[in-house]
Amino acid sequence: MIDMKKLDRELLKVEKPARYVGSELNSVVKNKEDVNVRFAFAFPDVYEVGMSHTGMHILYHLMNSMENVWCERVFAPWTDMEEIMRKNNIPLYGLESKDELMEFDFVGFTLQYEMSYTNILNMLDLGKIPVRSKDRTNEMPLVIAGGPCAYNPEPLYEVIDLFTIGETEELLPELLKLYEEEKKNGFDRLVFLEKAAKLDGIYVPGFYEEIYNDDGTVKERKTLNENAKDTITKRIIRDLNKSFYPEKSILPYIDVVHDRVVLELFRGCTRGCRFCQAGMVYRPVREKESDTLVKQAEKLINSTGHDEISLTSLSSGDYSCLPDLTLKLLDMYENQNVSISLPSLRLDSMTFDIIERLQEVRKSGLTFAPEAGTQRMRDVINKNLTEEQILGPVETAFNLGWSTVKLYFMIGLPGETMEDVLGIKELAYKVKDKFFQRPKEDIKGNLKINASASCFVPKPFTPFQWVKQDSMEEFFDKAKSLQREIKDKKVSFSYHEPKLSYLEAVFARGDRRLSAALIRAWEKGCRFDGWYDMFDFNKWMEAFKETSTDADFFGIRERSLEEVLPWDFIDIGVDKKFLVSEYEKAMGYTTTPDCRQQCVNCGVNHRLLGGACPHVQVNK
Amino acid sequence: MCKLINKYSKTGNLKYISHLDVLRFIQRAVKRTNLPAKYSEGFNPHMKTAFGYPLSLGTESIGEYFELEFNEHVDPDVFVSKINQVLPKEMQIQKSKETDEQESIMSRCAYAEYIITLESETMDAEKLGELFKEMLQTGLVYPRQKKNKKNKTVIKEISTLDYIKYLKAERLSEGKITVEAVFLTTETGSMKVDELLKLMEERGFTADYHSIMKIDALDKNMQPIL
Repeated sequence: MIDMKKLDRELLKVEKPARYVGSELNSVVKNKEDVNVRFAFAFPDVYEVGMSHTGMHILYHLMNSMENVWCERVFAPWTDMEEIMRKNNIPLYGLESKDELMEFDFVGFTLQYEMSYTNILNMLDLGKIPVRSKDRTNEMPLVIAGGPCAYNPEPLYEVIDLFTIGETEELLPELLKLYEEEKKNGFDRLVFLEKAAKLDGIYVPGFYEEIYNDDGTVKERKTLNENAKDTITKRIIRDLNKSFYPEKSILPYIDVVHDRVVLELFRGCTRGCRFCQAGMVYRPVREKESDTLVKQAEKLINSTGHDEISLTSLSSGDYSCLPDLTLKLLDMYENQNVSISLPSLRLDSMTFDIIERLQEVRKSGLTFAPEAGTQRMRDVINKNLTEEQILGPVETAFNLGWSTVKLYFMIGLPGETMEDVLGIKELAYKVKDKFFQRPKEDIKGNLKINASASCFVPKPFTPFQWVKQDSMEEFFDKAKSLQREIKDKKVSFSYHEPKLSYLEAVFARGDRRLSAALIRAWEKGCRFDGWYDMFDFNKWMEAFKETSTDADFFGIRERSLEEVLPWDFIDIGVDKKFLVSEYEKAMGYTTTPDCRQQCVNCGVNHRLLGGACPHVQVNK
Repeated sequence: MCKLINKYSKTGNLKYISHLDVLRFIQRAVKRTNLPAKYSEGFNPHMKTAFGYPLSLGTESIGEYFELEFNEHVDPDVFVSKINQVLPKEMQIQKSKETDEQESIMSRCAYAEYIITLESETMDAEKLGELFKEMLQTGLVYPRQKKNKKNKTVIKEISTLDYIKYLKAERLSEGKITVEAVFLTTETGSMKVDELLKLMEERGFTADYHSIMKIDALDKNMQPIL
């Protein structure tokens, strides 16, 4: 255990000391003598962000439900705390036991966002664990990682010992059991990694060599160890009704980003938006039954006392039992002042009678995500949304009394012209007109339209994985034009920092040669890069230069369809030829229907399921 | 309709939780009991609770207070046993009583009683006692920085005579001294234990380590509120 008196003397000097002490209700404290495997679930961002992440709550309680395993949490200390820890030689510790990271068997990072990678290095270093995999000895913890960004694990090649690919509710227990066995027989790191590599969904980067062409593109991958598989297939949970879901969730004492009961309606998405990585990698759609969800809600409300239930998924309006579920939950909780929220609703699927009922408890703002300003662009990205389908629901919302509307857009989409960019303004103005083109007596409230644009980042495993990203200049040019053009008191416009989106693309599509630049950037002091006030672009540029890394090559460069991509060895179940055909259709402004209407032959059914997708069976 | 006054503890790691967060946390715990708590009317209903004098961050306490209203009659013993099951061991309700007191719980908290434990090899309890005597009899004046309504920093002079009611140092064991202190807590403010420790430091009484425990909140007659 770390020196608690030393910690105590310093903690009152930092902002929000409650981030660093644990002891929350429903957190799990075990006797370390009683367990064989100690796992530190590491979230590479601050406490408030990490505690809002549903995946962490699931895996934390799942691992703690195993008798011989104790899972604890560790978050990235904010800079004030880092300074104190370094000055007073306090190593990074697990919140539950206050034992330093070095005492754990596993340190497992969740990769939610590329811009959190420097925090991973910093957390390892604060835990006195070497940041490079090759420098770790047999006694040190295994550093593993999983989560959405693990679909392109290569930029973390030098850092992470082992990656989990896909959903880990089944894989993680398998891995921990294997570890327990190996520990009994006198643990050998290499032997363990070799055995782990045989499990489906495990990727050990050190077992592969990457060979490059003269132009810097990937030529091929070679396996260096006979246990390493050529292709790593992602893991999925086939039946979410039978899968582990916690009955309790840890209750933070301080305000966190999302502080509510989260119910996961389903995984996957049938819409097929071409920019969306989640829409591809989480296939197929698997719904939970509404009875399962109601039971989970009951248990979670009783164990936490939360006053909000959030129904989450990638597109909640598509949940086949949505009216049934929301009405059941409303009947149960309306009188207890528990509100129900539905983030991620698509415009066209908005069922207003549900929304209206939800508002009876607490009224919130409305957010619409048309993503692009013109029909041409919406067809390119396969948003499958016409202008009427945007403005119709907006009008309904105004009639029902809403007056604050958020509109989300992207700039820099493939094939975008300035006309498309200015289409964002046109659409925002049409929304405004809808508000005022109603009978005078109906116009109530003060209209506020907040339009915001993020800069498009091409992601692996999407039909846009080959496209060129706009340069920072192009992004600034487009964003500034919009800022100039939108001159209405009722409409405000903001945009995402292009420099951050540039860097995000570098890491999203990079290969293992980026590890050196990542480590250098961290050495130069980069931390919390996703936090605008902490982001230091110049340091990153220096790091690329000092490591002779051509960032443009990884980030904005257009790839040919023939090029071997650094993530091609991962199989997400969707055929690459489906992604190619979607890319080609996009370039011809052709849309693809929602696969609830018609199977689009993405390949996931026969490759992962060996039969039709569950949502297709439901519909029949 | 029924109003309960409750005395609770806040110890261990919970000393790092701010007053505002405690408020939210307790309301949530009440919700977990499924007892018929009363809510305010209106757009954004909130639970009808009232809290005693706020505790400084970093201070443990075994004498904190809050009041809670219910729509129906709730037996204090039932409330205590139900809520303690859903509270962490560092925060437990010790006593609960039905009340019809009109004066706010905040203004009824007239004094705060503390025990401060100091760890130091060199500190002398008797000499510290002399400093305390000075604070109580002639008074020590120190500046306190505060933001006024226009958000400008102003300096206010505070005298120990204004706020210290009782102060006593005693040697507990080798290297350990305990200080008993009673401070006035008024609507316009109070003295903080940290300020006392700073005044001590200025006179050379610096501890290697200290811990602060609030023992109770006292009413105008120097009696525990509950």
